[in-house]
Amino acid sequence: MSERDETLEGWEPEVGPDLPLARVIDLAFDYRGNTTVIKTDGSEVHGYIFNRNAGAPEPFIQMFDAAGAGPFRIPYAQIRTVRFTGKDTAAGNSYAAWLRRKEKEQAEPKAHDSEAR
Amino acid sequence: MSVPASQMWTVATYVLRQKLRGRPRYPLVLMLEPLFRCNLACSGCGKIQYPAQILKKHLTVEQCLKAVDECGAPMVSIPGGEPLMYPDIGRLVEALVARGKYVYLCTNAILLREKLEAGLFRPSKYLSFSVHMDGPREEHDAAVCRDGVYDQAVEGIREALRRGFRVTTNTTLFEGANPLRVREFFDAMMDLGVEGMMLSPGYSYSKAPDQVHFLRKSRTHELFSTMLSNPARRWKFNQSPLFLRFLMGEHDYECTPWGNPTYNIFGWQRPCYLLQEGYAETFQELLETTRWEEYGKKSGNEKCRDCMVHCGFEATAVNETFGSWRGFRETVAVTVTGKL
Ligand code: SF4
Ligand code: SF4
Repeated sequence: MSERDETLEGWEPEVGPDLPLARVIDLAFDYRGNTTVIKTDGSEVHGYIFNRNAGAPEPFIQMFDAAGAGPFRIPYAQIRTVRFTGKDTAAGNSYAAWLRRKEKEQAEPKAHDSEAR
Repeated sequence: MSVPASQMWTVATYVLRQKLRGRPRYPLVLMLEPLFRCNLACSGCGKIQYPAQILKKHLTVEQCLKAVDECGAPMVSIPGGEPLMYPDIGRLVEALVARGKYVYLCTNAILLREKLEAGLFRPSKYLSFSVHMDGPREEHDAAVCRDGVYDQAVEGIREALRRGFRVTTNTTLFEGANPLRVREFFDAMMDLGVEGMMLSPGYSYSKAPDQVHFLRKSRTHELFSTMLSNPARRWKFNQSPLFLRFLMGEHDYECTPWGNPTYNIFGWQRPCYLLQEGYAETFQELLETTRWEEYGKKSGNEKCRDCMVHCGFEATAVNETFGSWRGFRETVAVTVTGKL
């Protein structure tokens, strides 16, 4: 269950000395939405990254494309960056957000309660 | 406790065989997730938050059975998503029963009556419907964000029992749970005639500094000891008594996440049902390449700090029961006296 309330939706990170590719991939792996993988040859793959293995002899990601085909394996060496192009399906749905909503609901009497009174 | 003798015998002999073989890590319950799709959208549920193309996907029965054979656990729990939405659920369950696996089909029960009437399942000592019930009507409907679901679940439970199926309930308790209300809920479930109840504390890892709402360890101990001290004789729990005593703070166990490995459309999930830190392609790869030392209380990993969930610790408790005389004696004593 993701606890992030802020979202990376729409983020188009530029990989550089302050932002290594491995970090962008980690964030894309945690992201509960589709992303666009920009490859070093300029081609793009749009879909959901469900796995990454930075410790493998040849580090790679695995993803299903936007049509659900896959899984595809793409080596880190072929990736320039990843863009957070799809809707973040976890945004606002974290457990903490749920508890906050619940507390608010409990604090406000329900419409039918006040009607009944 | 309410686990049938044949199931207890299967588990006991399985655990002893693993010990004789000197297997340091062995699976006890396979968490088999054939799909992530669900007919509810409970807030805070991390299982359904995927893009549409992922929610549309599901495992084939053949993929499921390959995972079951590869893993070899004597029990298979089928959570989800909602497994009754899996198009081949009847065929999958039949194949698992034919393999002599004890199956817990975890369902919110909205579709249970319909599927039973359609003749999808046959009663068997190997098959239990494990119905998601997060407390009394008001609490449950609030937790699942839809009014009327508690009543639908009760209706499904009644129908399953009437047709001779094994039925258990599974209840996750969050911060704010009222022990008295939960005790009344236990009575209500026993009145319904379920075989036993399963409990787990709600736990969710947060990187956010505000963690006041999570069931921390001390709070879990407090809640479960209040709820379970002086248990009514009629309450039956379909889980290890030592795990319940662990929740009450009577034991200090270490997590054994390989005991409940998770398999879904992405592969074998590392390291546990709760955390998703990557996937392995085979069960063997999961066992051999997961850095287990980075998880559990001893590791110091903040994600594991307050975790006491059943998928991490129930296998530890079962291992204690069948792996030590002390654990065995204690389990027998609780079973005989009914006192936790
Ligand atoms: S019923 Fe279970 S899987 Fe479905 S939304 Fe609720 S918690 Fe998630
Ligand atoms: S303690 Fe175990 S079950 Fe809990 S989050 Fe950590 S690895 Fe998972």
